[in-house]
Amino acid sequence: MVNGRNVERRTVLKAAGATAATLGLAATTGCGGDGGVSADGTVTIRYAWWGAEDRAQRIRKTIALFEKKYPKIKVKTDFQPYLDFWKKFNTQASGGNPPDVFQNAVGFLRKYDAKNVLLDLGEQVEAGHLRMEGFRAGLEKFGEIDGKLLGVPVGSNSMALVIDKPVYTKAGVKPEQGWTWDDFEAGMRKIRDRTGRAGDSGMYGVMYLYDLYLRQNGKAFFTADGLGFTEADLTDWWTRAEQGVEQGLYADPKKVAQIKPKSALAAELCGSEFTWDNFTVRYSAEGKSEYALAPIPTTDGKKTGQYLGSLMLSASKRTRHPKEVAQFIDFMVHDPEVARIMGYDRGVPATQAQFDAYQPTDEVNKAIAAYEESLVEAGVLEPITPHPNGADICESAFLRIAEELGLGKRSVDEAVQQFFTESKTALGT
Amino acid sequence: MGTTVTHAPAREALSRDSEPRHGPVKPARPAALKRRRRRENLAGYLFMSPWIAGFLLLTAGPMVASLYFAFTDYNLFDPPRWIGLDNFSEMFGDPRWRHSVQVTLWYVVVGTPLKLIAALGVALLLAQKRRGQAFYRAAFYAPSLIGASVSVAIVWKAIFSDDAVVDRTQQLFGIDVGGWTGDPDMIIYALVALTVWQFGAPMVIFLAGLKQVPRELYEAAEVDGAGTLRRFWNITLPMISPVLFFNVLLETIHSFQIFSSAYIVGGGAGGNACGPADGSMVYTCYLYVQGFENSRMGLASAMAWLLLIAVALVTAVLFWSQKRWVHYEEGAA
Repeated sequence: MVNGRNVERRTVLKAAGATAATLGLAATTGCGGDGGVSADGTVTIRYAWWGAEDRAQRIRKTIALFEKKYPKIKVKTDFQPYLDFWKKFNTQASGGNPPDVFQNAVGFLRKYDAKNVLLDLGEQVEAGHLRMEGFRAGLEKFGEIDGKLLGVPVGSNSMALVIDKPVYTKAGVKPEQGWTWDDFEAGMRKIRDRTGRAGDSGMYGVMYLYDLYLRQNGKAFFTADGLGFTEADLTDWWTRAEQGVEQGLYADPKKVAQIKPKSALAAELCGSEFTWDNFTVRYSAEGKSEYALAPIPTTDGKKTGQYLGSLMLSASKRTRHPKEVAQFIDFMVHDPEVARIMGYDRGVPATQAQFDAYQPTDEVNKAIAAYEESLVEAGVLEPITPHPNGADICESAFLRIAEELGLGKRSVDEAVQQFFTESKTALGT
Repeated sequence: MGTTVTHAPAREALSRDSEPRHGPVKPARPAALKRRRRRENLAGYLFMSPWIAGFLLLTAGPMVASLYFAFTDYNLFDPPRWIGLDNFSEMFGDPRWRHSVQVTLWYVVVGTPLKLIAALGVALLLAQKRRGQAFYRAAFYAPSLIGASVSVAIVWKAIFSDDAVVDRTQQLFGIDVGGWTGDPDMIIYALVALTVWQFGAPMVIFLAGLKQVPRELYEAAEVDGAGTLRRFWNITLPMISPVLFFNVLLETIHSFQIFSSAYIVGGGAGGNACGPADGSMVYTCYLYVQGFENSRMGLASAMAWLLLIAVALVTAVLFWSQKRWVHYEEGAA
């Protein structure tokens, strides 16, 4: 103890020093935002998207091209599956640290505009860093909200019925443009009886399909600030759904739940599934069968209620490099080589230059191109349904409550009531 | 909440330290002694400072903040808005919230006793003197070492799916209920099975308790002609009741806090996090959904505090009940 005293003091000092150093270190890393500029003027921007590994590989190739053309800009990437992407994004954005540029969709524009997260790219367009010319089908307007340019479309897509071709052929069901919901139901019955599979994966929970059904009847899922349909409408839709599940027209929800994230169609639980047309690529990768696109059933034999949707690129309002971000977006939507790498992974390319640059050679992508062309020719496309702030929460509630209905955990009335309660909270109405 | 349990020994240690030291300390003048003690205290606090800083910054600070948020409407982006008790009244009126409470209570009430019975049963077997016991002890303890990991939950999900091991085994016995993970009524049992399988930690504690039971009690009972059951009931159980109490307390608190296994077995990345029809939506899962999916941090904070209060109440009830069934030996504790 006696000669240990000095040691003790020294140790204490060391410990104190070490502690201070650690704390100091933590503090510097804590606020270590260098804004992504290095000594030689190279700027680093962060880019995040949702999707699977396949999409990530394509995107990495396009980024390599971009970095070659703009050697002073480096791109850091990050991706997750859809739901996880938004959880992470939401947390980052609330902490003031969202990625500089990211994949976005119509349903999130108003939400994040209201939260002051999205950069108005209009200024960059005026400054000449981002060209908004050469878009197909009026797509350049898709990312505009209240006069602000909040997103730039990278591709267009549309709801479709993806079918397992051999199953439909075996059952003798031939979907044609203008077929009605009665035809559709009769088709589901034939598939069930002749192939032993359910006809459909459970379309009653797909918000975007119900939206089309409502639009066929002069309504829509959303108005600018609320729900565009009544409890009676939904009761009607889900009553038929309940019967369909009972009769085996729609896949057993228990089985559908268990094979997630694989799709019910690729897992051969059913003969068809309503989804976005660009997802066809996914089915061919997941499943063993041959898949094709069929038209959306109608109410009056003509109107499908369809519109073009779109994935976009948006920028963060807090980015320190708006110019570089604009150049990045510009490159990604206009460069022909990018189109050849991406294919129809995020929908049919938004700009004419990219559309012309990629000529699909495989069946799947050819089918997607033909499908969207047929929509334009049939003149069924209409303006998009508005997506108020909270639309994304309504979408997941719709899916979840429909699943509960399918599983028999809720009666139709309870399900409808629960959905309206939750949506009203989400939409603040 | 685990700290509640360690209180007693900690307090003991503390009081032992603060008692004035007589014998071993060299005689010194009171002033010098005081100075030295102060220096020692300072050194102690310096050594503790990383932990103290961490505690204040990462635990206490956020807890105070969350208590405040519990009375606000807070979406992470806009500044929190004071709404008083609205979060709490919303909770009680929300059928999904009530459902999550139900699922959690079911999990606690079914899972905890089963786990403890399994733990005690195995501990009784392993307490006997037998060749290779060390190996068995390690083998039975292993699941609880890896049990909390994400990978095990993923494997668990696979085991209980359609056409997987459990489903096929059921079918052998003519039971056709399908996979458990897709069934809103069965998925909770998959979680119960997972927690029961992780009986290692309470088992080790039981084992230690069993070793403490004096052999002569059994010998005396044997002489009196008491059978195995009788000996277990009248000697073993009362003698290990403090250990049993400790395990009941710890496991109950643990069960209330279940999250990661429920989150993953119920859906995990890229899916609905709460199982089919919210079948595995335990309290913390719903809390997570409200906080991170619906961006309702105020409501989520209120839920977290309510859980804390509920667990504290349950703990209090358990402590109160121990007078009736926990037997402490004279002199001990």
